[in-house]
Amino acid sequence: MDIILQLTFAGIGVGSIYALVALGLVLIYRATNVVNFAQGDFPMMGAFILVVCLLSAGLPYWLSILLSLAGMVVFGAAFNLGVYYPLRNRSYLPVLISTLGASILVQNIILAFYGPQPANLPALLPFRGFQIGSVFLDPQYIVIIGVSALLVVLQYLFFEKTLLGKKLQATSQDKEMAGLLGIPVKRMIMLTFVYSALLGGIAGILVAPIIYFSITMGNAIALKAFAATIIGGFGDIRGAIIGGIGLGLIETFGAAYISVPYKDGFAFVVLFAFLMLLPQGIFGEKIAEKA
Amino acid sequence: MNRLLYSIAGCLIGTALAASVAHAADPIRIGMVAPSTGGAAETGRYQINGAKLAAKEINDAGGVMGRPLELVIEDDQTTNPGAVLAFNKLASDSSVVAFLGPIRSTQVYAIEPSVRKVGKPMAFGGTDPKLTHLGDPWMFRFRPNDKISTAAMAGFGVNDLGKKKWAIVYSTDAFGTSAKDLLVPALKDLGVEPATLQGFTSNSQDLTPVVLEIKQSGADVIASFATVQTDQAILAKQLRQFGVAAPVIGSASLISATAMKLAGPDLYGSYALTDFFGEETDAAKAFSASYEKAYGNQPDFFASWSYDAVHVLAKAIGDAKSTEPDAIRQALLAVKGYEGAEGTYDFDENGDGLHAYSVVQNKDGKVVFVKRVEAAEIKAKD
Repeated sequence: MDIILQLTFAGIGVGSIYALVALGLVLIYRATNVVNFAQGDFPMMGAFILVVCLLSAGLPYWLSILLSLAGMVVFGAAFNLGVYYPLRNRSYLPVLISTLGASILVQNIILAFYGPQPANLPALLPFRGFQIGSVFLDPQYIVIIGVSALLVVLQYLFFEKTLLGKKLQATSQDKEMAGLLGIPVKRMIMLTFVYSALLGGIAGILVAPIIYFSITMGNAIALKAFAATIIGGFGDIRGAIIGGIGLGLIETFGAAYISVPYKDGFAFVVLFAFLMLLPQGIFGEKIAEKA
Repeated sequence: MNRLLYSIAGCLIGTALAASVAHAADPIRIGMVAPSTGGAAETGRYQINGAKLAAKEINDAGGVMGRPLELVIEDDQTTNPGAVLAFNKLASDSSVVAFLGPIRSTQVYAIEPSVRKVGKPMAFGGTDPKLTHLGDPWMFRFRPNDKISTAAMAGFGVNDLGKKKWAIVYSTDAFGTSAKDLLVPALKDLGVEPATLQGFTSNSQDLTPVVLEIKQSGADVIASFATVQTDQAILAKQLRQFGVAAPVIGSASLISATAMKLAGPDLYGSYALTDFFGEETDAAKAFSASYEKAYGNQPDFFASWSYDAVHVLAKAIGDAKSTEPDAIRQALLAVKGYEGAEGTYDFDENGDGLHAYSVVQNKDGKVVFVKRVEAAEIKAKD
């Protein structure tokens, strides 16, 4: 029983990370119809700015986090202007390739200026974790689960209860119609990228103390986040959350009870099953076909 | 008019002379495949620095046969296709006389067919024992192979530490799998059956299932072979978090500067089998001092093997007085008793240069020497 609880905790913890990145992925997909291949670089970038501020410049933790979040706002805006905006009237393929190129570019710029060394970031909470029965809880995972839950609630309220949120939804559902109704589509898309980058940055800041900062840290997470999005469906932010946490649990239990070496395989077996049997995911899109 | 002709002629002769002088001092070029980008870029920097330091020392001392030594470095992007691409690019340059290959066995496997085709000696650092038994005469290993290290590990753990319940944790790639496949029989020779075997894929974010399994097995020692340093650090951290106090014995990457910095106190008390220890021999001390002077940080085995390889290749070319591949090969095979930073090089007929391993311990963040294990001694125990 203890083992099941321990595995559940680990699965939800790692799943929350996938979920946070998947949220950003869904938002950009809904706004632009493009899967952003650089989504994994958002967490990497957030963690990287934290590493530079905290470890290289020696700033306090809270200020470093604020600077990192501010940096992600700028990064999201620059990403929109540089990677998406010039190609916005083309089909999805050029944009997709553009995001792929951006990912390689960002990773290699950091490699060139900062170097390849990974870095160890201190955890947000200063204590090492505690024991409940024989279950060990890493405080950083508790922070991750808590922050993820909070973000989901805030995001739900924002999208469903505010005018700006509804404008964003309208934009993602039908750009032309939204434009005709006087919604500033360009600005909405800009906002989506900024928010998505911010979400990714938060995920990076939260996860770096656990998996350490490295330039390629986002690659594996982004792949899992993508799988989570397919499982959950692209239509709904609930899908990203359930897909992400579900994937974390499947992986962890699969590794514990079936085979550790095939841990990554389980994610993609499930992905494959969903593509075959339930291609729209657990939560389908609000409108079946997008214009 | 005449004066003009003379001056033109003078210029021409001058240029011709300059060209022939340049030809006599043509550099001897050695190609190097190393990761400058990708997951192992960090270790690639050590390898490149080590090789460059050796080349500089050789050139400062007058070069090889009066010719300067030049390193041509290609990025393998830490991938197998990248390594093949980088090697083929170097191989297409006929002025490259020998190569430094990857330190990762999986990449050495990937480029071995190309090495065979090109037919020039390649020094490499991958420690999978089979790499020098592929029937390829051009493969020269500059680190002791894993058969020696795993036998030494089993011997040290069972005889010196008195540990009988082993958990073996390994990356499921060529490096980790082959190390596991060697350690299991080495332990069996000493009458020990591992308590649990745990393979995992590289770049895991969480190793809870692995650590729980180790805890349940009741292992009193953990042999760890992780390819990626962040995985090693995550494993060490989670072992401590779940209250597993058994010491970790690992490969040399356990005491690499990167792993020790990442894992910090989580790796205190762990043992590593290493081919290079900076304070062990005079040659190692001299190398450490000049490396630190040149780059401002301590070298590790990533730097020492490439440093030795460039020196030994230069020596072989100098001994052979030729840059012909077969002459270099014969000269390499004839290298006996060369004192390098890694140890004493005695090449056997397979192309294995080193035959001993050192056991060291991470004592509160400082690596201390424990004992040296010679291959001959391990064989005697078999």
